[in-house]
Amino acid sequence: MKFHPSTLIRSTLLMALAGTVWSCGNNNGIVDREYALVWEDDFNGAAGQTPDAAKWAFDVGIGPGNDGWGNQELQFYTDRPENAALDGAGNLAITARRESYSGRAFTSARINTKGIFSQGYGRFEARIKMPWGPGLWPAFWMLGANIDEVTWPQCGEIDIMEYRGQEPNLIHGSVHGPGYSGGAAITKSFGFTDNRFDVDFHLFAVEWGEDYIDYFVDGTLYQRLKPEDLPGEWVFDQPFFIILNVAVGGNYVGFPTPQTPFPQTMLVDYVKVYQEIR
Amino acid sequence: MKKMQYPASVYALLAALVLLTVAGCERELEDLEPAAFPTTPEVFIDGFSPGLSYAAFGGSKVTAFEVDNEVKYQGAASMRFAVPDAGDPRGAYAGGGYFTAIGRDLSGYDALTFWARASKSATIDLVGFGNDFGEAKFQTVLRAVKVNTNWQKYIIPIPDPSKLKQERGMFFYSEGPEDELGYTFWIDELKFEKLGTIAHPRPFILEGQDQVFSVETGQQLNIGGLGVTFNMPTGIDQRIEAAASYFTFASSNPAAASVSSTGVVTVLDTGTTVITAKVGGTDAAGSMTLTSGGVATGPTVPAPVPTVNADSVISLFSNAYTNVTVDTWNTRWQFSTAEDFDIQVAGDDVKRYRALNFVGIEFTSQPIDARAMTHFHLDIWTPDPTELPKAFKVLLVDFGANGTFGGGDDTSHELSFTRPTLVSEQWVSLDIPLSSFTGLVNRGHLAQLVLSGDVPNLYLDNVYFYNAGSTAPSGPTVAAPTPTRGAADVISVFSDAYTNIPGTDFFPNWGQATTVSQIQIAGNNTLRYSGLNYQGTQFASSLDVSGMTHLHLDVWTSNSTALNVYTISPGPVEKAVALTVPTNGWSSVDIPLTQFSPVALANLIQFKFDGNGDIYLDNLYFYKAGSGGTAPTTAAPTPSFSAANVISVFSDAYTNVAGTDLNPNWGQATQVTQAPIAGNNTLIYTGLNYQGIQLGSEQNISSFTHLHLNVWTANSTALQVFIISPGPAEKPYTLTVPTSGWSSVNIPLTEFTPVVDLTKVFQFKFEGNGTIYLDNILFYK
Repeated sequence: MKFHPSTLIRSTLLMALAGTVWSCGNNNGIVDREYALVWEDDFNGAAGQTPDAAKWAFDVGIGPGNDGWGNQELQFYTDRPENAALDGAGNLAITARRESYSGRAFTSARINTKGIFSQGYGRFEARIKMPWGPGLWPAFWMLGANIDEVTWPQCGEIDIMEYRGQEPNLIHGSVHGPGYSGGAAITKSFGFTDNRFDVDFHLFAVEWGEDYIDYFVDGTLYQRLKPEDLPGEWVFDQPFFIILNVAVGGNYVGFPTPQTPFPQTMLVDYVKVYQEIR
Repeated sequence: MKKMQYPASVYALLAALVLLTVAGCERELEDLEPAAFPTTPEVFIDGFSPGLSYAAFGGSKVTAFEVDNEVKYQGAASMRFAVPDAGDPRGAYAGGGYFTAIGRDLSGYDALTFWARASKSATIDLVGFGNDFGEAKFQTVLRAVKVNTNWQKYIIPIPDPSKLKQERGMFFYSEGPEDELGYTFWIDELKFEKLGTIAHPRPFILEGQDQVFSVETGQQLNIGGLGVTFNMPTGIDQRIEAAASYFTFASSNPAAASVSSTGVVTVLDTGTTVITAKVGGTDAAGSMTLTSGGVATGPTVPAPVPTVNADSVISLFSNAYTNVTVDTWNTRWQFSTAEDFDIQVAGDDVKRYRALNFVGIEFTSQPIDARAMTHFHLDIWTPDPTELPKAFKVLLVDFGANGTFGGGDDTSHELSFTRPTLVSEQWVSLDIPLSSFTGLVNRGHLAQLVLSGDVPNLYLDNVYFYNAGSTAPSGPTVAAPTPTRGAADVISVFSDAYTNIPGTDFFPNWGQATTVSQIQIAGNNTLRYSGLNYQGTQFASSLDVSGMTHLHLDVWTSNSTALNVYTISPGPVEKAVALTVPTNGWSSVDIPLTQFSPVALANLIQFKFDGNGDIYLDNLYFYKAGSGGTAPTTAAPTPSFSAANVISVFSDAYTNVAGTDLNPNWGQATQVTQAPIAGNNTLIYTGLNYQGIQLGSEQNISSFTHLHLNVWTANSTALQVFIISPGPAEKPYTLTVPTSGWSSVNIPLTEFTPVVDLTKVFQFKFEGNGTIYLDNILFYK
């Protein structure tokens, strides 16, 4: 997930179209696929409990390059329950806070399944309710599991959902790879005309196969990427691991304003991964 | 009239209509819908929407709003608002409201939106809706709306759309000049919308604060600071003010405090209550916690009605008088916790203070000149304990000649009152001689009263200054004038100045109702008859006053309307002489003994007074007139200094300093008169304690060498003269008294330096006793 300054602006905002033309079901003219559940976390558990260590690892700090995770993000990621814990109501709460911590003005959390679980192809979905306010940047995304061997962007990145707090009615789906990373990522946005992503849960998903990645919001397909759509190499034929995080500030989202209310929480009802069985 | 014929088809049509009507009657009850109000969202798109009217606010420039066909966001027209320059005689600001005669059902929308731009960057004071020029139950206000020269969209969220079933107030605005300059802004596409992108309503009361109040039964408090913060489609928060009717208020303890639908809390009983609120099911931030101590203890009877004549009063607060301007009864100075209330006790206005540690009361805009006043009065009532050492303190502050705080000329003094004066749960009338405020040197510009002490609950009434010399409820405050006649010419019955005849019974039992007492007034023994009907005085043995010419007496009464004095010889033979009452201060009466004929002057046995009221008497004595020795019979010698070398204060021989006040009110007991003696004007001090002279202007006498004056006194045993420069800086010089005839005194001015600044002499003062005759008070070189 690297900086993409103008991709969004250039990309076609589906907005109204998404809600109307493609609101007629899951298939959207695509051949029905049948999936079997292979991995999930429904985040059931006692309030205050940190996410299941058998499924998730924490990224702590300000990034390996000490540069705000490559994006000048403002938060310090911790593994404290104040920043990531079950809410007792069946959700994972990743909470960004305005607090001075290790030289940073904000704290938050980023968890991943690297080395624990990864998969190539299949359906990856999460049901999420967004935080809100300028400068908040939550995401549900994946990186190629071979990142340590081939480095980014050769490992590939699939952003199933990204969101900017100052545009609470929009989400964005992207891929990054060699020749189309950072600001040149391939992106499409999905928007509501009369609703927002921070007032209720919505289901964000990709269905990923040998020669396609389809992006869905609440069962509505809003983007299909095929190898021929990419300006560079298709690097999506290997296992990817999952990441959930809430960033504060940074190149992608801009600064939070003094009026941005904190703390802000992304609630994740569940994450589920399927394999296609037919 | 010609009968109309209808064709058959018309009849068929009519029949069909009848059928339809019949069919309509068969509707089920559940099909009936309540009378619906229009849901029209448009307010102004390219013109007024149906039913919309405009009215300008009072005081605004009524022509500020016009429809503009040139500048518009889209369509054919916009609303143009011309904000006037400051000082525009046609109106100080632009403001008005748009309303409909029939309410609209706006419950399907979540915001009022519009596009706006302006001729320059500016901040519109407020825009909103829900102002129907009536109750404005659902008024909603967005303040400080920043506009610039670009068209931008603005959103005013509806705090709770479900409330707006019948709203008439579609839009209103108010904006004044910016930096005194007017400008123009435009609004277009003004309409209600269902945006769906406004989220996270966070209502608040009391600006979101948890406030705590100590209250009492009967008290009412208004819950203000009402609004809702919304997260806008841009992710930022926006605060709007929302009327109370959007809120549902709740009391945690309705028996102790109730809250109305409009957010008015009424304290009903003792106990602790928390008032909270919701909007549309969402809890509002902020709360009001009330701790009620129950019914406040206060006076049930009004304070005593003042009896001082209004002519002698400067009143700050009393229903008995016309009050002067008091700027505030609670300055709310830092660290003061006092709260003040205007209450009534049996119809009488009373000031009530609660939590009083100290309270400032200011009359700075019109300082009070109390120089002609002698007393400060106030009535206080407190439910608080008053056992020693609990005190109530009164501080008076004079701002001095500059009339403002500071400047080096302020003077003040605080007095403290304790038991037995201070008592709980009854009215205490304080009549405080201003002379008791010894540090309050000046009383010409009184501007502050500060009350403090250990009585946090205080009721206050009848706060006024008065002059007790003319009339007072409590009798004379100054002594009767000290007699000056030589003792050899006097037979005294009652006087501190002479040796009185022994054994006199001042309270013989003659069956009278009168109460007799002897009291000290300014250190002088005085005879008081209270509730006079009649009263005798029995001499121990008969007096022979046939060698005397007059009976002298000093009398003081504020309420007597009839008073006679009798001398009595055996028989009894008696004769009444009427005295003039009531008196204006002490009245010195000299009655020729011939008026008592046929009473036997050689054999007097009794006095008698009859009449009514409360009478004060002093210096009852017989004397022989014409024997001399009590007053000069010749003029003071005329000075012979060259006029060019003289600054004269009091002399017939020179031009005196203009505007000099020979009797400034410094609280003295001295009576000052001027009388010609052998054709020469003479200054007379009777009953001197001290006496000032206020020069009409400050005098620079540094080039002069001496103070000259002529003095004559037969009975003074102490006399000093002071000259005074501002500060005050003063120094006395002792004069030799009594004098043998007129004494001419020449005092080197070096006697007064270096204490007194001779470049700025502005006052004289004499101190001592007796009756003093003065003349030719002047400086010379």
